[in-house]
Amino acid sequence: MGELTALLLANFTTPEDIGVNPQSILWLLPLVAAIAVVYKATKVPKITAGHFIKETVVLFGSIVIFMAVTALILCASAWLITE
Amino acid sequence: MARRSRESQIVFLPIVGLLAWLVPGAGHLLLGKNRHAMVIFVTIVLTFGAGLYIGSIGVIDPVGAKPWYVAQVMNTPAVAALGQVTRQGDYPVYGRPDEIGQIYTSIAGLLNLLCIVNAVYLAHLRVIKDVGD
Repeated sequence: MGELTALLLANFTTPEDIGVNPQSILWLLPLVAAIAVVYKATKVPKITAGHFIKETVVLFGSIVIFMAVTALILCASAWLITE
Repeated sequence: MARRSRESQIVFLPIVGLLAWLVPGAGHLLLGKNRHAMVIFVTIVLTFGAGLYIGSIGVIDPVGAKPWYVAQVMNTPAVAALGQVTRQGDYPVYGRPDEIGQIYTSIAGLLNLLCIVNAVYLAHLRVIKDVGD
């Protein structure tokens, strides 16, 4: 029990090993999901499982698509400027 | 009647706001919105916990990253106590884990701020409705 607690605490006192690579951008997905869930929780008057999940998924998809489109536009702009 | 309601509103709204800050979702719980409270609590605690797990408690840095710290304290006042532990710089964290941890914990705090404002607004609407009745 003591070892388990020590291990658990150690996980929160030493940072994870995350490299600076393109895959690290995927860490935005859980954050976007959290934003979509909390935002919808403040917006819907009553929470029912089906309706709430649908609303959250739509918002999550909208944010991700908007970010992807923005990233593509920025990439294209950078490519046009540097070429 | 109107005067009494105004007095109760002056007391009730700060209590809702304070509770919502002390424990994420507690403001909604006080208003009887149990499902909202549960969703808010679980999501904010998980997001904040994920930030601490990724970057360690070192991401709470009241000395070197004050603007981030202000957003992190919006989670709960307990973060300020954690800030006292990390103030000496005993838990250094750099690079991508630092960035991701700070962003996760700060966004969790800002989401809780949104919930605090929402809970106070809902409480205000309830008081207005009570006065109308």
